[in-house]
Amino acid sequence: MPPKKNKPPGGDGPTIELDFEFKKRVEKVVDGALVNYCYQCGACVGDCPSARYLEGFNPRAIMLKVLYGFGEELVGPDSPAWQCTNCYNCYERCPQNVKPVEIIIALKNLMAEREIFPEKAQVGDLVNTVLETGRTAPVTSMTKKLREELGLDPLPDIDTTPLKKILE
Amino acid sequence: MAALPAKKFAFFPGCLIPVRYPQMEAAIRRTLPQLGIEIVDLDGFTCCPDPIYFKSYDKLAWLTVAARNLALAEEAGLNLFTICSGCTATLSETYQQLNANKILREQINERLARVGLEYRGTSTIRHVVTLIRDEVGLEAIGASVVRPLEGLKVAIHYGCHLLKPSHVMKVDDPDDPRILDDLVAAVGATPVRHGEWILCCGKACKDEEAPAQMMYDLLKSVAAVEADVLGVVCPSCFNEFDLGQVRLARQYEDESVKTPAVYFFQLLGLAQGLSLEEVGLHRHKVRAPALEKYAAAEV
Repeated sequence: MPPKKNKPPGGDGPTIELDFEFKKRVEKVVDGALVNYCYQCGACVGDCPSARYLEGFNPRAIMLKVLYGFGEELVGPDSPAWQCTNCYNCYERCPQNVKPVEIIIALKNLMAEREIFPEKAQVGDLVNTVLETGRTAPVTSMTKKLREELGLDPLPDIDTTPLKKILE
Repeated sequence: MAALPAKKFAFFPGCLIPVRYPQMEAAIRRTLPQLGIEIVDLDGFTCCPDPIYFKSYDKLAWLTVAARNLALAEEAGLNLFTICSGCTATLSETYQQLNANKILREQINERLARVGLEYRGTSTIRHVVTLIRDEVGLEAIGASVVRPLEGLKVAIHYGCHLLKPSHVMKVDDPDDPRILDDLVAAVGATPVRHGEWILCCGKACKDEEAPAQMMYDLLKSVAAVEADVLGVVCPSCFNEFDLGQVRLARQYEDESVKTPAVYFFQLLGLAQGLSLEEVGLHRHKVRAPALEKYAAAEV
């Protein structure tokens, strides 16, 4: 008889393939290892604006999927991570200090590593703008006009050499 | 009013305000000296970097760039103040993480050493509303007012990143904050709390429909309390409420949701006797007619 594969105890439900390698990748990101403290209480769900507005978005379920290692679902093209509003309510509520929003951001970091963040996420463009100009928003002719009208000094150009050096 | 002895703080301007909404910077630069705060501009600051997009890219890089900004303030021997909730969140979290985690701090200091800097964790970070509450006090803020905004109903949008996570931000109780209500009252206006006051502006959510629905519900609840203006302290929220309202009113064919958004320091400026132009209120997409009578009142 072949060995049983992670059958849930006491039932003939679907077989779950666990992938601890995926969880280890999440753990390497800053605060990623906190996911291990999640005991699935669901305190993160009640105040979550995305859970209120989007059927299927559930921070507790995302934590469970990280623990199970459902990597394809979490860091694939349809990742739920981009639906998070980054409001930090879950971080505030979590009795285990899991910081669910930080786990969700860790998933985004894994997607960024593989350059599979969707265009709508605007991440790549923004990071490039910061590296090139030192600011998230480049100075435009409108900026110059508004600042002059308000009697403010013009904005200096930012030397981004130090940024590039510390991020090499 | 007797002049207060000046307290000096390094000014961290961020990106969105000086580039897109310089009216907010103008309001800060014109109101703080009236409260005895001396603004010190330092060279070399970059983007904080932003806690949504840059942090999504690489948390370690995000902490590194933030630590460099903080190290510049440390070199000048000054505590920092910020004028944007996003900058406050990034710099406060970096301060908390690096002061609590020696390994992380060493890792980041190895990178900062390449540009001759070291993060030591000696400069504190405060959002300007916290700064004036704690360093100036509500009474002295009220004493700087020459034109009280009596009768003005201000719905308050606290936003997310000013308050949470509370043990990092250390601003107020996120479930029942008072800070902005108290500041609005200090300039003579009436703070009003609306049903959806805790709801996020939704900006970071990349769903096609949910952010607009969040905003619509929030603005309907603001309109329901018949507020004259919606007071904000964050340029990201402001963007959602200013240009965003014009978009929403069109999308939902509902003009009733247009409540003009204003940055708190624009209100403080008006109350201190500045003109609408000096605090840049004439530049907003959704104009605030309710404020014109105060601007017209003699000082």
